[in-house]
Amino acid sequence: MADSAHPPILVVDDNPDNAHIIRDYLEARGFPITVAYNGDDALKAFEEVKPSLVLLDVMMPGRDGWQVCREMKQHPTLGRGVRVVMVTALDDWVNKRQALQTGADDFVEKPFELSKLASTVERNVKLLTNAAAGGSPATSR
Amino acid sequence: MDYHQLLRDSLTRLPTVAATIDSIRKAVQDRGEVVILYFNFDRYSKVEEVYGWEKLDSVLETTGEAMREFLTKSPLGSSKLMVAFPNDDDFIFFHVPKDDTPAATDTEITELTAGLKEAVSSQIERVHGEDIASLFDIFVGRSLVIYNPKLRLERQIYRGIREAANASKSLEHREQAKKVGDLRETLRSRGLYIEYHPIVITDSLKVFGYEALARGSLRSMRSPEVMFEIAAQSDLIWDLSRLCRDRAIEGMTKLLKDGELLFMNVDPADFADPSFDVNALNVKDPTRVVIEITERTAIKDYPKFRGRLKEFRDKGYRFAVDDAGSGYAGLGSIANLEPDFIKLDMSLINCIDQNFIKQNLVETMVRFANEHGAMVIAEGVERKEEFEMVKSLGVHLVQGFFVHKPSSNAVTYRPPIQPAPALAEGAK
Repeated sequence: MADSAHPPILVVDDNPDNAHIIRDYLEARGFPITVAYNGDDALKAFEEVKPSLVLLDVMMPGRDGWQVCREMKQHPTLGRGVRVVMVTALDDWVNKRQALQTGADDFVEKPFELSKLASTVERNVKLLTNAAAGGSPATSR
Repeated sequence: MDYHQLLRDSLTRLPTVAATIDSIRKAVQDRGEVVILYFNFDRYSKVEEVYGWEKLDSVLETTGEAMREFLTKSPLGSSKLMVAFPNDDDFIFFHVPKDDTPAATDTEITELTAGLKEAVSSQIERVHGEDIASLFDIFVGRSLVIYNPKLRLERQIYRGIREAANASKSLEHREQAKKVGDLRETLRSRGLYIEYHPIVITDSLKVFGYEALARGSLRSMRSPEVMFEIAAQSDLIWDLSRLCRDRAIEGMTKLLKDGELLFMNVDPADFADPSFDVNALNVKDPTRVVIEITERTAIKDYPKFRGRLKEFRDKGYRFAVDDAGSGYAGLGSIANLEPDFIKLDMSLINCIDQNFIKQNLVETMVRFANEHGAMVIAEGVERKEEFEMVKSLGVHLVQGFFVHKPSSNAVTYRPPIQPAPALAEGAK
């Protein structure tokens, strides 16, 4: 069961090995995880599971992570409440600006260290918890 | 997107035309006529361009609420308000008069428009601040659909919507022409005053300088964005810029005390104006003037532009890159201008406490500035959380409603304070 400290997370990565490492690691920490392996499935899962947090790989065949992020953030009913973390090396200014314009909230560099991934997840969950407690909105507007 | 999401707009919670066409059709048949009002919100595209789509979403939410509230109270309350398409920024209003009342007259519509404009704009100012509210304008076009059994009803309704939309557009054009007249009058009578917006040192909150913001004395010319937009369309940019500069410098001489810097906006295009000459400016001490150049305007002839900058720099003027980070150009283009100050684009500051990418970008900019001997200014700081975040990221200077609002007599409400020595050194 999801509690406010462990909201549901959607992990999107076209590489099953990567996706499973993230899933196993976060599940062990108590988070309910759903995995999708491409952009279309991610958007379907997004509407079904209504995750609070999405870990989104950028380089995927078909709809890439940028497109998926934009669609999630502009979703008429779920867009407001979700935080999206891009899993990619946003190594320069241009990439980061682009990420902001799609509505992304955070990023974690790839290849990632699991401890870094955990702290990234936790700082975003913390903002979700604050918002749930009646503080400021969970996502930037 | 599910089909039912096409029937109701999630931002304003208003139905779309598709969702209401049946009841409109019935109303036309029963009543014989309906009035269609088309609300065209001028410059919402500008809000989106400057602040991003999330901001316009939130402005539209406020607009929808304010319109609903206003119209429920108005005599036209029984009518229907809707949007053309989900997430669109225009609104449509079908006025179906009650059986015993005649359809609204043009005068009533004009009154309605004025009241609505006031209601929406004051709500926008309350929720989103003066800057966004000053961009707000609304044009209401009207059309009448009269039942004609020979024609298919939906098509009559759609034509009615288009006709009302066109009417609102032509109103907009008429209004535009009137504004050109207002601008010419402003230039002729030099009817322009300056508000000074304090820029403070983040750590001490002491005033470091003031940005000069031009405001037209005529109501229609209150917003500098509107003035400059009209000036660009009517080829009066240089004249308007000249007047703004003169006024800002006059105020500086009269109002600013020793040590206080004047931040003055200059468009890159102004450097091509032969009268914008380093010797022609009536500035006693150029080291106290910071010329702000916006990153939004493309610089056409770079070497020539840099040459012009050098003339000013040699006299002691300093430079700020305004709206830094608004474009895709990255840090290279900022480095090229060798600025003394880097003013971060407002969109980077809005809700920075909740966005880790923004925090990372600002941190990068601060590091870059420290390496290049420049200072970073965060503008648009409106909330305590934003202030605390930019402070923790090492941003040197702050400007925004959270610390001070712009005022036309800035120096009377703040004692003049010398910039802290360490910071002044950092600013080359």
